[in-house]
Amino acid sequence: MASGNALPVPHIHSAGRRVGRVAWKTVAVLLFILVPLACIFGSLFLGRYHMTFSQVVGALFPFAHISVPKQVSTLVVQVRLPRALAAACVGASLSASGVAFQGVFRSPLVNPELLGVSSGSGFGAAFAIVVLGGGFAIYPLAFATGMFAVFMSYWVARVYKKTPAIMLILGGVIVSSVFSALVGLMKYVADPETQLPSIVYWLMGSLSAVSFEQFWALIPMGLGVLVLLASSWRIDVLSMGDKEARSLGVNANAYRGTIVAGATLATAGAVCISGVVGWVGLVIPHIGRMIVGSSNRRLMPASISIGASFLVIVDTMARGLWASEVPLGILTALIGAPFFVYLLKKTKGGDWR
Amino acid sequence: MRDVQTVRAADAPAGEEILRLDGVHFAYDHHKVLVDVGLSVRRGTCTCLIGINGCGKSTLIDCVLGVLHPSAGEVSIDGAHVRHLKPARLARKVAYVPQIHERSFPYLVDHMVLMGRTAHSRLLSAPDRDDREFARRAIEECGIGHLAKRPCTSLSGGEMQMVLLARALAQDAPLILMDEPTAHLDFKNELLFLETIERLITARGVTVLMATHAPNQAFHLAEAGVSTRVAVMNRGRIWQEGPPRTVLTEEMLRAVYGIEAHLLECDPPPGGTRPIRQIVPRRTLRAERPGL
Repeated sequence: MASGNALPVPHIHSAGRRVGRVAWKTVAVLLFILVPLACIFGSLFLGRYHMTFSQVVGALFPFAHISVPKQVSTLVVQVRLPRALAAACVGASLSASGVAFQGVFRSPLVNPELLGVSSGSGFGAAFAIVVLGGGFAIYPLAFATGMFAVFMSYWVARVYKKTPAIMLILGGVIVSSVFSALVGLMKYVADPETQLPSIVYWLMGSLSAVSFEQFWALIPMGLGVLVLLASSWRIDVLSMGDKEARSLGVNANAYRGTIVAGATLATAGAVCISGVVGWVGLVIPHIGRMIVGSSNRRLMPASISIGASFLVIVDTMARGLWASEVPLGILTALIGAPFFVYLLKKTKGGDWR
Repeated sequence: MRDVQTVRAADAPAGEEILRLDGVHFAYDHHKVLVDVGLSVRRGTCTCLIGINGCGKSTLIDCVLGVLHPSAGEVSIDGAHVRHLKPARLARKVAYVPQIHERSFPYLVDHMVLMGRTAHSRLLSAPDRDDREFARRAIEECGIGHLAKRPCTSLSGGEMQMVLLARALAQDAPLILMDEPTAHLDFKNELLFLETIERLITARGVTVLMATHAPNQAFHLAEAGVSTRVAVMNRGRIWQEGPPRTVLTEEMLRAVYGIEAHLLECDPPPGGTRPIRQIVPRRTLRAERPGL
């Protein structure tokens, strides 16, 4: 009797809730797509040279037939636009890699530089500046050595037959310190008048030298991020630990390898465009978790969107706040570190909801 | 009539064989952990694996899960050799409940249980609506519907074990392995966990292989009408295997655990049909070396 009366009611309720949920989801997805685009568009106006809305629109869309001074359109299309796009891509890649690394290594305190990609890239860039005289060689060499450093971490971790997470972390520590020492060596032998400042500048991270010529790095970044997006469900499962992941039907070693490879492609690509920009890959995933929860199928796209917006905003600050440009990596650290302390306090180190 | 049948079922093996270990050897470097282990587990039964710390229980479970590979011998499930099965195929045959889950991120309980459906989704794709329904039913069956939207980091140890059991259930595998699942639970939660196992075996027909440090659990399950077997491990071998009444004796506890224990038996409690049996450990025996 009771069940006969009660059954239709929860049915209607759940249908109503489902419609509400779908609508909410659509709004959320739209927001996550629109906010980074709005940030990129907004950053085109800001800077030491002020311009009007119609000037920016006219520069961006030549077929709109709005007359724009030549130097304004060059500034928008050749300087500010590539820089904003690069910032968005770097922020997205670092955040996605941070989410992946935190999940795979089961720790919310891990960043994508864990396996030595940054110090490897740093050495590559310094080597190119000192030995090869800088120039275009910096970018491919930084990319290659970043990949190589992670490969080395894997190789060190293979003293065991398998590659458990803890051995990988240890391998990353070892390889990072070796490459840091090599960066030190490069600084030591560098010409202090010309080469040393370039190395230091590169290591602090900056997007001031970005142009469309370096956009080949978007290919590995895009590839890496796609791999991470596709494996986001498996990252959830891997974060259960190797044994449980295996008993749930996921080959932990193989998938961790794939995900680390994807994250490394994305990070190495980002680092070779912008230099070493810290804290983004550590902090953004936490903000994402506060907004959408821990499930990586939501967290991954959300973090990509938040990371892209964040770095566009910070980079705009880097070039606009003071008369001379502040290195991006320094600004992200100055913003990221206190924010992270706030997050730890707010969430008491564990529960993010 | 029905009572007689269930009493028999409690002692005799039921159903066909689902898990078989044949001459399984395993060694970490030169330390032999499993020596010529043979075991047969039948459908719809609960096999309790007991023995002292370090006797090889967890290693045996890892060999069945495919986490470790035996150096010799064969582990087969439903006639298929474990070493030939890919992780996803194996996961559709065997689910696993660990002793304790090291929580990393605050996944919601229903999300956690949904992870049990991973082996049923295709490569790179995530669980779909059917899988969600499966997970929801598993949550209901374990009686934790009220926890579904709680983050698992906020659960107590007992609630978490039920979540892990629900996840194993959602995996829809005929065999569930458990590695000391009640080791961290209080009296009530231990009973609640055992009662849920009973229900799953009798109503759903799953098979359980459970490593445990509490031999009395075997008596409890047998009294509840579950077809229960006890396998005693000692120094990497199966020392004895059989129904609880014949295996769990004072002599066995003296020989394997090196303790003096008493087996108490009392009349069926009001409303019960079977006598209650319990092992009460009394004191350790220092003179004899344990495990001989």
